[in-house]
Amino acid sequence: MASLIGFYSLIFGLCLSFIVVLFSIKNFRNSLVFDKKILSLTSLQLFFVITSFLGLIISFINSDFSNETVFNHSHTTKPLFYKISGTWGNHEGSLLLWLLVLNLFIFLFLLKSKEQDKNYRILTLLFQQVIIIGFFIFIIKTSNPFNYIFPIPTEGLGLNPILQDPALAIHPPILYLGYVGSSVIFSATLAATSLNYISKNWAKHIKTWVLWSWIFLTLGILLGSIWAYYELGWGGFWFWDPVENVSLMPWIALTTLLHCILILERRKILTSWVIILSISTFTLSMCGTFLVRSGILNSVHTFANDPERGLYILIFLFCLIFLSLFIFFFYHKTDDKQKYDFFWLSKESSILVNNWFMMYFLVVILIGTIYPIFLEVINSEKISVGPPFYIKLITPFLIPFLFAMAIGPKLKWIKSDIQNKINLSIFLIISFILSILIIKNLKVNFLVNTILVTSALYLFLVTSKEFLIKGINNLAQNLAHFGFSLLILSILFNNFFSTEVITNLKIGETFKSEKIHITFESIEKKKINNYSSIIGKININDPKGLNQTLEPELRIYNQPNIVTSEADIKTNLFSDKFITMNLVQNQDYFNIRYQIKPFMIWIWLSVLLICSGGLISLFRKKI
Amino acid sequence: MKFLKYILIIIFLFNLNLSNANENNSHSKITKNLRCLICQGQSIHDSDSEFANSIKILVSKKLNDGLSEDQIYILLKEKYGEWILYDPGFNKNTYFLWLLPLLMFIIGGAIILKIFIIKKN
Repeated sequence: MASLIGFYSLIFGLCLSFIVVLFSIKNFRNSLVFDKKILSLTSLQLFFVITSFLGLIISFINSDFSNETVFNHSHTTKPLFYKISGTWGNHEGSLLLWLLVLNLFIFLFLLKSKEQDKNYRILTLLFQQVIIIGFFIFIIKTSNPFNYIFPIPTEGLGLNPILQDPALAIHPPILYLGYVGSSVIFSATLAATSLNYISKNWAKHIKTWVLWSWIFLTLGILLGSIWAYYELGWGGFWFWDPVENVSLMPWIALTTLLHCILILERRKILTSWVIILSISTFTLSMCGTFLVRSGILNSVHTFANDPERGLYILIFLFCLIFLSLFIFFFYHKTDDKQKYDFFWLSKESSILVNNWFMMYFLVVILIGTIYPIFLEVINSEKISVGPPFYIKLITPFLIPFLFAMAIGPKLKWIKSDIQNKINLSIFLIISFILSILIIKNLKVNFLVNTILVTSALYLFLVTSKEFLIKGINNLAQNLAHFGFSLLILSILFNNFFSTEVITNLKIGETFKSEKIHITFESIEKKKINNYSSIIGKININDPKGLNQTLEPELRIYNQPNIVTSEADIKTNLFSDKFITMNLVQNQDYFNIRYQIKPFMIWIWLSVLLICSGGLISLFRKKI
Repeated sequence: MKFLKYILIIIFLFNLNLSNANENNSHSKITKNLRCLICQGQSIHDSDSEFANSIKILVSKKLNDGLSEDQIYILLKEKYGEWILYDPGFNKNTYFLWLLPLLMFIIGGAIILKIFIIKKN
């Protein structure tokens, strides 16, 4: 029943799209004021999409296996929380969520843009409806979440256990708020371009939307990363996996856009560049969806390998790109006498430098992600592009980037020179000496790492000093940059100081080395609703007197029948102790992997700091 | 001070090619650079599959035999194809992969410079 209501709501929602389009065109041509009916129709459409989504959630809660999606991705013994999160833990449901967020954003946009020009609002709505209609048709035609199966199965196939996790339950919705938030930026930019509406005021108005999607995208990536850290059992948080990359690319484009809008807020220059960035942000989000959904990429996220779906998204994507390029080239009027009258040392030029480096990082990731696909198509050679590639191409450029991040915000608009040269130099010397002291005793490449740490420490010191001097002035920017320096430092130190022990142990055995004793004390078996678990008790004993018992777990899920390994992590401010235990086939011992990972928590905290920079920027505007 | 910074950057660029010779546990370094062929997006080092375990044993054997890191990569590449290496080498297949980003960086710099030239005219 719920499925049926869900399906018909989808159809009604699609029909409403066309009605909204008709009304909007009429209103666009014939009237001077915004027709209130359009807003009500849009809210009605949102209502139908929400109903449809609720219909799917209810089918999941009731384990209604007459619904194909529920049958494929749920099971009666699953906890209620994961029944609900299973709604978007699959291809069909996640697309319905996309659609829901698309509708939600345009509705909010109409509510929040009342002081803007009528034609601009309507045109934004029209462009957004083009995307919405595309997704409606895509869902109904190729990935209907409400397909009916008969005879009705008595039990479902279950959700992939590694997706049964609290962080991953909220990761997709948050990430989608970021991804799809960029759709409003896209539509609004196209509308503003066609109407020649781009101005300083428009920049102020669009900045809110850029900030919101940026915050959600950042949080979404953070959640995914935290999940990878504790669930995939290898103790890393970023692997330069194609699917991670496709979420990072829109983030970089959005961050660049955010900085560029700062210039546009002051002076009407670089408009073309803002338009290109807005278009590419959304295009990259769509590309991400395409690459993940088409099954071209080899990754844990690939839940659908249906070429028809990939093809549809690809064609749709090309149509959108074509439309936006058309509008850009035929409607965008560059002012002939755009004045770039700023000095080489000014805030404008430092933001340009930011854009330059960010685009380089984006290009590295883009090429690294799609190059292997093209190579395979062209001469059927399969290559892997992994972490070493990205590290080699990105780290050298990170150094000047970090220095520019420290100096740039101190510059003034139009023309500036560097003040407090002595102070800045002292900071440079301090950070240089500190990094030498840190790196000296490590077995890593001395010069590269010293300079890298110097640049990160430098940014750290300069931004910390800003807090002391300026207090809450310019807090948003400073906090975000401070967070970034902390992020880089934590990642570097995490890399330098991580240690690990990998060993095979039987119950009762002890691994002994100079630094550490690992004793496998006992195991305990438990039976829980949808899985049975084996919990190991492992005692860690080191000469410093630390004595800790960690309890890694193996879970044997019933449906689908998969064994997962749950890490036990003890976190404190300085380091994480991370242990996993794995079965070794046909052997009576377990594979134990114990890692000490310093500053792990600071990686998460620094990303939260970066986010809060964005949040402060949002709320300061309103005060 | 800026001068010092430039010098450091230059020294750094020269130093880029020097690999970390004194890497102590080259075993974990090598296995981190190898793809587990039967897993999805995991390195040999991080995987516990049978395939990964057999490669781990192979790598330690070859290290004991005195083979260098690069020799081991070449050996595995011949056996399993380039797909197994996370670090794509610089050859005719990958010229674009390595050089295109750098080229784009230069083009980007040129565009920014051009903005200043426009200003001067």
